[in-house]
Amino acid sequence: MTDATAHNAPAAAPARPKSLLTQDARTKRRNAAEKRFRTYGAVAICLAIAALVMLLTSVLGNGASSFFQTYAKIEVTLDPEVLDPKGNRDPAEMSKITTIGYGNLMKQAFPASLQAAGVSTEGVPEKEIGDMLSKEAPAQLRNRVLNNPDLLGETISFWALANGRIDGYLKDRVTMTSAERDGNVSPEQLQLADRMMEADLLEKRFNWDFITFPDASELRPEAAGLGVAIIGSAYMMLIVLFLALPIGVAASIYLEEFAPQNRLTDLIEVNISNLAAVPSIVFGILGLAVFINYAGLPASAPIVGGLVLTLMTLPTIIISTRAALKAVPPSIRDAALGVGASKMQSVFHHVLPLAMPGILTGTILGLAQALGETAPLLLIGMVAFVRDYPSWPVDGLFEPASALPVQVYNFTTRGDPAFVERASGAIIVLLVFLLCMNLLAIYLRRKFERRW
Amino acid sequence: MYDTKRVESIVGQDDIKISARKVQVYYGDKHAIKDVDVDILDKTVTAFIGPSGCGKSTFLRCINRMNDTIPIARIEGQIKLDGEDIYDKRVDPVQLRARVGMVFQKPNPFPKSIYDNVAYGARIHGLARNKAELDEIIEKSLRGAALWNEVKDRLNEPGTGLSGGQQQRLCIARAVATSPEVLLMDEPCSALDPIATGQVEELIDQLRQEFSVVIVTHSMQQAARVSQKTAFFHLGNLVEYGDTDDIFTKPRDTRTEAYISGRIG
Repeated sequence: MTDATAHNAPAAAPARPKSLLTQDARTKRRNAAEKRFRTYGAVAICLAIAALVMLLTSVLGNGASSFFQTYAKIEVTLDPEVLDPKGNRDPAEMSKITTIGYGNLMKQAFPASLQAAGVSTEGVPEKEIGDMLSKEAPAQLRNRVLNNPDLLGETISFWALANGRIDGYLKDRVTMTSAERDGNVSPEQLQLADRMMEADLLEKRFNWDFITFPDASELRPEAAGLGVAIIGSAYMMLIVLFLALPIGVAASIYLEEFAPQNRLTDLIEVNISNLAAVPSIVFGILGLAVFINYAGLPASAPIVGGLVLTLMTLPTIIISTRAALKAVPPSIRDAALGVGASKMQSVFHHVLPLAMPGILTGTILGLAQALGETAPLLLIGMVAFVRDYPSWPVDGLFEPASALPVQVYNFTTRGDPAFVERASGAIIVLLVFLLCMNLLAIYLRRKFERRW
Repeated sequence: MYDTKRVESIVGQDDIKISARKVQVYYGDKHAIKDVDVDILDKTVTAFIGPSGCGKSTFLRCINRMNDTIPIARIEGQIKLDGEDIYDKRVDPVQLRARVGMVFQKPNPFPKSIYDNVAYGARIHGLARNKAELDEIIEKSLRGAALWNEVKDRLNEPGTGLSGGQQQRLCIARAVATSPEVLLMDEPCSALDPIATGQVEELIDQLRQEFSVVIVTHSMQQAARVSQKTAFFHLGNLVEYGDTDDIFTKPRDTRTEAYISGRIG
């Protein structure tokens, strides 16, 4: 009897505490471990948030100013003798006058309008005064006149784009000390800019042109915009959406619901998963070799970019769609088959609607990934300098365009420090696009998600 | 092994709805159903009983070819519905399932309205020519499933919002709406509370007026309450098949006796 009792209670077992109010050593260790783990988690979250905040502050801090641009106010008389020598107000005739003609007009008008407004131009040579305007400003004036020939002969007050250095001075990028060492701008010009600001002839205004204008050359960062890049990116997203979504969903449905389970389908599955991990630049080389060199599609065109990004996005869409289809409870399929629905009816009437939120989320995440992809686009020539807006689809898909992430890369390769601001501004636009797509994903998920 | 001659002695040939001969089911290498012969009568409730894993659900799913959806399942032998082999190459399982409806263990209404749940089968089989006819089918089926009075005012509410017992009756209504000839029920009450179980059992008894009902159950009391015929499965074999009263009062096989007295299972 005593033997049996000793056997039932091993000597090593720790004594259980008598009271629930005191914790034994084991419980304390367990609680401490749990507390430690929670701390690690909290620290990890804090690090992630800090990284995000740093990224956003840096991008917003550098880029927000690109949405504001410095303009100088000029009173300019549009001399019909110079701008419309034949005097018949025909825009086709008038367009023969190039920006040089308008430039000369502005160079004469600028100092005069400064003096008329009571701003002293003393100590600044006339040529340097003219240089304070952007080289893009005559083109602005020309466009305005060509759009409205009735302005000829009148004296209009015109907000002309200021030179990048003057813009930099208003944004604290250029200072008096840096101007002394800078061949492109002199301290006297900056002092004149100060005087112009006092007379309200120079100010920063909201800059829609940054979003709508095409890229500009290295010498005129103040005129560089994202218009062509935004159109190019939008066209590519359209192509990706219209190709990758149907192909991806069809492939997933076939693999998940209809395909027999054999070595071939196993091989296909493994390859799709591996395809998702292929570096994106490889898809770029593929696009170059197949779509441009073999199929003869034009380089730099959104159609090629869209096709390459479609290939890149397909595995993402297939994987997420299959996961969404797998998550539909089998009882729903049984129920449909049980009342005599065919396989296809059960998929299209019941499984697909239930998988819809997951499919849409996966698709939009795939699109977002494609929107930010740069490397493959460099290889198919989207890095080219494109000034002309592509036309409407379908033709526009075959015309040269840029893309937002490539534009960011392009801006960062240029010498003028003003392009740093442009690059950050382009990143902000890109992030806004991504944010919109994610919001759309959330909205669609809410809309299609049936809580019953 | 079960003796075929005895089956024929129990039932007359005329009212046989389903007859199975030498049915074998393999799941990969596993021999799940061994040499089952059984005749299921029209307008009768037949209960399949037996311990877990004995193959009763597997056999049930053979009757409307639901096992076709399992890639590794292989079926041999012959199952005839009204004298036609349902595993004949020319048979479309979809057409078969319209005649042999099924109710599953867990209530599985579609995530749609109560109306659409019941209407689905009728719609895909084109049983109604217009809305009025469809409405009629819905009402008849819901009445047949003893659910009409509870849901008639909220036909557009989601079917998944009903209680467990109501959901199961909705699934029965859904199956009834396609006017099947046989209704297979795979442990229809295992997820229900006793009150809901009572309602479903009462319903099964009414359904017998119109269809042949085959019910798989774990509860011997339930088998005794609702069925006229009972088949006892054990380890893939059909051990004994006969009138329910006989099986429960004077089982012929020692395994049947052991099971109903609670010694195996």
